[in-house]
Amino acid sequence: MPDPRETRVLLEHAEDPALRTIAGYKGYGGYATLERSYREMEQDEVLKELEDSGLRGRGGAGFSMGKKASFLPRGEMAKYLCCNADESEPGAFKDRELMQRNPHQLIEGIAIAALAADAGHAFIFIRGEYDAQADILDAAVAEAYEAGYLGTNILSTHRDLELVVHRGAGAYICGEETALLDALEGKRGNPRLKPPFPAVQGLYGGPTLINNVETLSNVPRIVANGAEWFRGFGTEQSPGTKVVSISGGVRRPGNYEVELGIPTRELIYGLAGGPREGREIKAFFPGGSSSPVLTAAEGLDLPYSFEAMAEAGSMLGSGSIIVADDRVSIPHLALRTARFYHHESCGKCTPCREGTNWTVKMLERMVHGEATPMDLDIVSSVQENIIGHCLCVLGDSMAMPVGAMVRKFRDEFEQVMAAAGPPLDDETRLAAVQGPAETLGASI
Amino acid sequence: MSREITLTIDGREVTAVEGEMLHDAARKGDVEIPVFCYEPKLGDPVGACRMCLVEIEGIPKLQTSCSTPVREGMVVHTRTEQVKQAQSAVVEFLLVNHPLDCPVCDKGGECPLQDITQGWGPGKSRVIDEKRHFQKPIELSPLIAIDRERCILCYRCVRFSQEVSEDAELQLLDRGDRTFVGTFDDRPYVAPFHGNITELCPVGALTSYTYRFRARPWDIEQAGSVCTLCPSQCNVSFTVRDEKVKRVLGRDNAEVDDGWLCDRGRYGFEMFADAKRVDGPRLKGGAATDWKTAIEAAAAGLLQAGEGRVAAIVGDASNEEGHLVQRIVREALGSPHVDSRPSRGPRRETIVGLAQPNLSARVRDIDDADVILVLGTDPLHSSPILDLRIRKAIRRNGARLAIATERPTALDGGAEAIARYAPGDAHHFILELTRALGGADTVATPLAESLEGAGKVVVVWGERIGSFGATALLDLAKALKLGEADGAGLLEVPDTTNARGLREAGCLPDAGPGLARVSGGKSTEEIRAALESGELTGLLLFGVDPIRDFPDTPAWEAAITAADFVVCFSMFETATAAKADVLFPLETHAEKDGTVTHPDGRLQRVRPSASRPGDIRPNFLVLSELAADLGLTTGIDSQPTAFAALTQAVPFYGSIDDASIGGRGIRWQDTPSGSKSPEPGKAPEPGSPDTQRGALGTIAETAADPRGVASADPGSGASLALGTYRDLWAGLITELNPPLKFLAPEQRVEISLTDANRMGLKNGDAVKVAQNGSSVSATVSIKERMSDGVCFLIEGTAAGNANALLNGGPVSVEITKVEA
Amino acid sequence: MSENGNPNLPVDRALTEGRVPDRTSAGVPELHEVDCPAELRERIEQLMSRYPDRRSASIPALWAVQERYGWCTPEGIRQAAAVMRVTPGYLESVASFYDLLHTEAVGSHRIEVCTNISCWMRGGDELLDAFRAAAEGDEDFYVTGFECLGACDIAPMASIDQRYYGPLEAAEAGIAIAQLKADAEVLPAKDQARRPLAGDTPNPGGGAGA
Ligand SMILES: Cc1cc2nc3c(=O)[nH]c(=O)nc-3n(C[C@H](O)[C@H](O)[C@H](O)COP(=O)(O)O)c2cc1C
Ligand code: SF4
Ligand code: FES
Repeated sequence: MPDPRETRVLLEHAEDPALRTIAGYKGYGGYATLERSYREMEQDEVLKELEDSGLRGRGGAGFSMGKKASFLPRGEMAKYLCCNADESEPGAFKDRELMQRNPHQLIEGIAIAALAADAGHAFIFIRGEYDAQADILDAAVAEAYEAGYLGTNILSTHRDLELVVHRGAGAYICGEETALLDALEGKRGNPRLKPPFPAVQGLYGGPTLINNVETLSNVPRIVANGAEWFRGFGTEQSPGTKVVSISGGVRRPGNYEVELGIPTRELIYGLAGGPREGREIKAFFPGGSSSPVLTAAEGLDLPYSFEAMAEAGSMLGSGSIIVADDRVSIPHLALRTARFYHHESCGKCTPCREGTNWTVKMLERMVHGEATPMDLDIVSSVQENIIGHCLCVLGDSMAMPVGAMVRKFRDEFEQVMAAAGPPLDDETRLAAVQGPAETLGASI
Repeated sequence: MSREITLTIDGREVTAVEGEMLHDAARKGDVEIPVFCYEPKLGDPVGACRMCLVEIEGIPKLQTSCSTPVREGMVVHTRTEQVKQAQSAVVEFLLVNHPLDCPVCDKGGECPLQDITQGWGPGKSRVIDEKRHFQKPIELSPLIAIDRERCILCYRCVRFSQEVSEDAELQLLDRGDRTFVGTFDDRPYVAPFHGNITELCPVGALTSYTYRFRARPWDIEQAGSVCTLCPSQCNVSFTVRDEKVKRVLGRDNAEVDDGWLCDRGRYGFEMFADAKRVDGPRLKGGAATDWKTAIEAAAAGLLQAGEGRVAAIVGDASNEEGHLVQRIVREALGSPHVDSRPSRGPRRETIVGLAQPNLSARVRDIDDADVILVLGTDPLHSSPILDLRIRKAIRRNGARLAIATERPTALDGGAEAIARYAPGDAHHFILELTRALGGADTVATPLAESLEGAGKVVVVWGERIGSFGATALLDLAKALKLGEADGAGLLEVPDTTNARGLREAGCLPDAGPGLARVSGGKSTEEIRAALESGELTGLLLFGVDPIRDFPDTPAWEAAITAADFVVCFSMFETATAAKADVLFPLETHAEKDGTVTHPDGRLQRVRPSASRPGDIRPNFLVLSELAADLGLTTGIDSQPTAFAALTQAVPFYGSIDDASIGGRGIRWQDTPSGSKSPEPGKAPEPGSPDTQRGALGTIAETAADPRGVASADPGSGASLALGTYRDLWAGLITELNPPLKFLAPEQRVEISLTDANRMGLKNGDAVKVAQNGSSVSATVSIKERMSDGVCFLIEGTAAGNANALLNGGPVSVEITKVEA
Repeated sequence: MSENGNPNLPVDRALTEGRVPDRTSAGVPELHEVDCPAELRERIEQLMSRYPDRRSASIPALWAVQERYGWCTPEGIRQAAAVMRVTPGYLESVASFYDLLHTEAVGSHRIEVCTNISCWMRGGDELLDAFRAAAEGDEDFYVTGFECLGACDIAPMASIDQRYYGPLEAAEAGIAIAQLKADAEVLPAKDQARRPLAGDTPNPGGGAGA
């Protein structure tokens, strides 16, 4: 039985393994909305419902899904829909659950969203590691084709939709929407310059709607029950429910579907069971590893909504909470975080490629006792130099949380550096700094 | 389309074209914004290096000026604190992994990274961490070393390979800061344009072996000239140290080359000092002599051959040289026999027709063409830079490409329609294509469909379509209405480097300077026959090597041997030169002073940049003195006098002078004198020499020829129709330039998979390719795109030269396996 | 090191004699030049047909190569390149970008142990050490630390031959390896696919949370 503090919409009946099959899904009323919308609804009606619902993207940026769909130009041209199932940000694992437990909900959502976008070709870009989930999706897509919900002349409505499950091969950056497009086009997953935005010029140069798995999974219910129904959940600016992934230093890590706006404490302490025996919560990432950390004092009593997290200087992002308890060393946590982004930086733009690399090196020196307090300032300034200067926001995704950690836990950094070994004395340090400076000066 | 707008940059008003990139607009306003990855020649900006960040009012984040199109009223700041901070941060980031080994780096002193660090960098380093390490320098190709530690990952080189030369061999490997530039399985990057990456690289990561450690920027001078190693006539800049060429760089001229060079032009300079260079006048048997003796001997020998019994063939020559040679033959020796083509060419009327200004396309027209028709040529081999140009038109401007050739071309992949005709059958195909355009259903109909309704059609055609083909081309041009549309037209890819200039200077059997009608001259093939028969006795060869380069090697050997007296101007010791009674040295394009004419009519100036080795003298002076000894006073004693004589003789060059040629050249069609080009001929009078010339047919005759398109008969025995082509790398340039040597092709016979299977042949099998008693050795090379029933050999290879099998007519050959 | 030893010394060999490279460059191979197994070729052709542009099939084609040869071998890449009509360099470049595609030989069993934030907090590093120790010296096993695999709910976890297991005790590493060697089912109780939803179980974190 679900915990009463949950509000299961997307995860309704998720405990039933039969839901994975088309028969099971239809048994709970699935595909009725697809049938109705394909037979009876015009593009604009679907669009309007989505816009009015206020559904915000669940992939990270929280942009209005309906509005984004409305940006696609009208007219006779090949248009595409991409479902972003790359879910690779540390702390996020909700899409995995949604695809694994209810693949047809996603397929139905994609089909209806394709109506809104007037797209004839859709792709699910799923991270290569989610092999089991991709198999489940492949089977479900085959069933949907078989049942006539996909393919040409769907339900004899003269509407077509091809849906391909495309497996990635291990690169976080492919979750970035334009990198995803490059990867889908068979290239290295490098982000593209924006503008042009994908809605105008995306996959194969055609207008493309890109949405997250959870965003699209919301679509059938919204179209079935109406925007007003959807707005009945959550807050004014964050309507709906949200599947929240909670992990790290809690007793019951997992996915919990709640109404947006629920107190964060309720999520971490209530649903996830709070910290383990004898520990306390020190800080947490409210929205995946790219959201600036909040200290327990700052964050626990905030409502869990897009707006409240933004106001607190962080973000709801993909809705993934990672809890750091009092046994976690923040400098080490910063290093783990930075290492991830360094490893995943695609390397296309300079500040991200070199900034993540340099940050990791400095943080490593810190935890190994080879740094001085000067390094802390350099680390901070390097984060500043990254933010806002990159081609996509991967660089910022490291710089913001790392910057926040140094800012909020500076004394802990200093302690770790002191404990890790004798810091270089100032003279050695200066010599080290001036050495290269002279080399540089002499050579230019 | 291009609207002028005004924007403000750093408080100053700048006028720009709407939509151009902010970086370019700023430059017009004398504001320099530093860039690394931005290079418009490589296509759309990628905004990767982030060096060019600037502040634009109304936009909260800094923007990359390389990728921001300008709009009316934009207010831009490039020197605010925020911008300076961002730019110095990017420099600092770039140096995190850069070794700063400037003192031992070849790029030192001409390095954008150095300059930008100086101008925009933080001035001191905060990095004490270990930098990334790679094995260095390693061979990226036999010509280029890569030092991966220096690479700043701007991706220019890789983008060149992907988006300009489209060989897709140079790639990025790995990810993030581990990314490096490399090739599949570490194989050498061997592609015909790859040298360009050394110029694109903004650091010392990619350097040519030919230049490494050979000079420092303060030792050298740059001298602009024109490469005359092929008809593309790309603009080059020679890096000269101690009066010797050390390096060849591109000299951007959008009208000619877009700033790229092929590797032949870039690396083909070591031969200037080769031991085989003829470095002074020589007498029979190779004995060196002084100029006076040599010129006197040449004059005496030619006079002795007798009035009207000397012929001249001109090849690698400037306009002035060609003009002088034909004067010597015609005026001093009273002989009409001059040609500048390796084999049979069209008659004057056709040439004049094809040269009409309204029919001729300029190189730039390729960029904006709706459809490009490549006819009877593979630009990659015959005029490499056009290959890049055509790719660009397709990739960037959506031009469509149609191809009609004997042999698969490098451009096939980008073509919308491809037609293959049998070797030597171009004229038939063109006739069929013309008929198809008129509505008839012919073999050329599919190709015709891709041309239909296209506004701007540029036909890039090869001189190899032959004399009948050229005649047929005139009708095709009419059917395509090339003369009526602006930006449409014909662009020739000739067989020789200055073909158009030499024709216009008078080196044709039936046309004098300015393509004026003359009669009675023999064409190259006829000259050969007349030498063999003894009708002609003297021969003047200027920049040609018939024994290697002309069809029918045995016949040429016999003809030159039969000649009583041979004067040969040659750059190197060749089989032909060895037979000369008097041998004169030739200048290279780094030494010569003179003009050449691009196939699109652009006169360009080749300027001397390096000293002449040995006892070499300017060729035009030698010719002028030879003329004088033969009793013809030309008054030519300098380049200006030689050029003046040319422009006087060629009416449509009349208003061109050195100033109007300048550094970029000028098309004669675009000058006032352009209107003086000869009128296309009426049909020649019956009985006039034009119709008597047996070798040339009329259209009606050609059409009646029973051989149809793709007449080769697939599936029949062991005999295949032979086609030949001149490979980019076949020839002395490859053999005499050590860095290029490895590219010299071994003779190989290309056949289709079906034919190979039928004949039991495998890739790499050693075979003999034979016809009528003569044969060459080759290895089998199976090509998927090859038509059945034909095979191809390379002309001009050092061994197994296909010219040995050619005889001016269609040739079919037998291929037999040689057991090892 | 370069052949010259000292990179500061002139490297001018090209000038003096000209050289013959030992290998040829790598343009698009023709099909008859590679020995592409028919199934692989059909598979890649079928993959290409799923997309408006054939090149979109590059990742799936590389997966197919990896499945066939155990890793993206140069020869396998050439075969795929011939079928796809792209240069092998293009495919190698793509393959080298992605963590799951291997351009060097790896063992046939692949174990990716998550060492990212949530797993690290719950013992991921120790788990990786345990797997490394258990697989030590056996070339059939490829063990590597990995970034977040999207299963922080079962931290610390590992992906074993593309299936997820967790939360794992260090001791279970040895058991898993033994099961793989014996061709037995791997850690059935820790198979992610069999777990209930978090809210449906009183303690989804299992023992590791305590
Ligand atoms: C580095 C990076 C990684 C991202 N990864 C994901 C991801 O794995 N899944 C996802 O849905 N969105 C991801 N995003 C956000 C997408 O770019 C995009 O905003 C989102 O897919 C849009 O869908 P939505 O509007 O439904 O949220 C990522 C963004 C960045 C910058
Ligand atoms: S080698 Fe040079 S051109 Fe190529 S990416 Fe590196 S710095 Fe740029
Ligand atoms: S020059 Fe603008 S980002 Fe590189």
